This record gives sequence, C-alpha cells and structure tokens, in this order.
Amino acid sequence: MLDDPPVATLIVAAAQGDQRAWDALVDRYAGLVWSTARGYRLGDSDAEDVCQTVWLRLVEQLGSLREPQALPGWLVTTTRRECLRVLRLAQRARPTDDPQELDLADDPDRTAADRDLLAGERAEALREAFASLPQHCRALLHLLVADPPPAYSEVSTRLHIPVGSIGPTRSRCLDKLRHCPALAGLLETEAAQAYTRNR
Amino acid sequence: MSAVPEPWEDDERLLRALQLAVRDAAPPPHRVVEAAKAVYTWRTVDADLAALAYDSAMDELAGQVRSSGPVRTLSFSADDVHVEVEVGDDGLVGQLVPPGAGRIELWTAEGQVAAVTADELGCFCISPRPSGPVTLRCRLDSGVVIATEWLPL
Repeated sequence: MLDDPPVATLIVAAAQGDQRAWDALVDRYAGLVWSTARGYRLGDSDAEDVCQTVWLRLVEQLGSLREPQALPGWLVTTTRRECLRVLRLAQRARPTDDPQELDLADDPDRTAADRDLLAGERAEALREAFASLPQHCRALLHLLVADPPPAYSEVSTRLHIPVGSIGPTRSRCLDKLRHCPALAGLLETEAAQAYTRNR
Repeated sequence: MSAVPEPWEDDERLLRALQLAVRDAAPPPHRVVEAAKAVYTWRTVDADLAALAYDSAMDELAGQVRSSGPVRTLSFSADDVHVEVEVGDDGLVGQLVPPGAGRIELWTAEGQVAAVTADELGCFCISPRPSGPVTLRCRLDSGVVIATEWLPL
C-alpha cells in the first residue's frame, strides 16, 4: 500500500493549479477543522461558515505557507480565531451595558464548564497531533482504536506488515504522538489558564 | 517536567485517550467537505492579498465598551494600498488609502454579488450587507489589483 503523498507535495501541487491535490488536502483535514469548530459549541450554520472561511483563507495562502508540516496547527489556530470572531460578532448583535455579563468569575457553573473545556482542549490537541503523524502511523493507530480492536493478524493483513512488527511500530507511533508539537506545552497552557482564573 | 499529562506517558492510556478523542469527532457533513473542495475555484492569481490588519470585533478594549454601537471597523493592508471598511446593519462603507478611483467587486463563496465604483477619493459603499465570508476585489485605476482576506461581515 503506497503512502499518501506528503502534505508538502500536496500544498505545492495545489498552489500550482492542481485541483486534485487540493481535494486530497480537504479530504485529509476537513474532519480536523469541523471538529475544532464544533468544539466551540457553534450551531451547524455558523460552524459551516467558519469552515468555509478557513478553507478560503488556505486557498489564498497556499503559495506562502512557511512550514507545510505545520498545516494542521495552522488549520486549528485559524479555525479557533474564526470561531472567536463569530462568537464576538454574535455578542455585538445583542448589546448590553450590564457589567455582570463581562465577568464570569462568579458563575457557579464555571467549574463544570472548565472541566469540559479542558477535556475538549486535550481531545482537540490529540486530534491535531494525530493528524500530523506520518501516514503509516495514522493507518495503524486508526485500526488499533477501533471498537473492538482487531487482532494483530487482521492488522497485518490489512496494512501488509508483518505481525511481529506491529507491537514495536505501535510503540514508536505512540511515542511520536506523545512528542508532537501540537501536544507540547499543553500542561503549561493549562497551568497558565488555571493561574489566570484563580487570581 | 513532562510536556504531556502524566497518564499519557503510558502507551495504553495514551491510546485510550486517542480513541476517545477520535470518537468524539463526528465526521464533517458531506456538503461541508464538498463546499471546501469547491472553494478552490476562488484562487486569485492576479491579485495581491490585502491581509486583515484590524477588526474592531476582535479588539478586547472595543469589546468591553458596549456603547460603541453596531458599527464594526475593519482595516486591510496590501503592500501599497489599504482598505478601510465600516460595516453597519444595512451595508458597508469603504475607502481606499491612498485615495484613488477604481472598481470594487464584492464576492461571496457563491460568486460575485456586487460591483461598485470607488470615486476619486477612494470612497465606495455597498448594500445590503452580505452574510458569510466575503472578499473585496479592488481593481484600481492605477493598475493595482488587490483582494481582501476572506472574512464574514
């Protein structure tokens, strides 16, 4: 089974007019953009607008992306910013001079919401990290997270790799995942957010 | 200090966390994927990008001043030209800086929806206000062609 073309190849081809390369990029990352937008609790229509804005931005920046490997990160960051913009625009549409609305510190439901947010952010970071793994790792881990997980003999047949290589490859791929840039600083970010809230 | 939450140092628990994260992510609707692919036709090859330099909706300070009213101000910058835009409920008013005449086209993801002339002061207005992401393609009489970064108004 041939590896999918690497991201860098797809970006260069799409920048030069290859619609199929663009389609391949969309197929690979549409899920990441969509789940990131949904994580912000946007309605379907707003989430669709955000997704479209993100892809429109990418198509105009194809030629100037500095680091192709950073595409998943760029997609997530851009999606987050556009979700924030939509939320801010919705806020502006219902103006209020009530200062209470601007300060959520006394919100009794904040703790549960914070926990959901934390879990959601960790899941989002994992999805972003997963999307950035090499194709053979994504294929293997995708099979291994199925429910119920397939026997190694089935994995071997489907991926055309020796059964004996699955265990070591799984370890290597999980270690790659663990060290993905998308996960770097996750704990620091969470600590900083906790500090800000508890000031 | 580990860069990831401690449970993730263990292979089994990291795999389990990944399983939950992947399962939480519902696949995008087919129309969302198709719309993203169709976006490719909007590749501009002849226009310079005028990037978003300022959006009052994202300005922290502006967000806290509730009495700023319903007008939103945007600023886009290309190398030699800026586009200043004010968006109200029924449309937008814009100006090219430095001042100069030209033709302004408003495009949505469905295609061109408006075309107006900017006067010699670079001023133009477009009504009604479109929904969803849009771009302004400005063809200046000077020969410069710019397109603003896609953005919902």
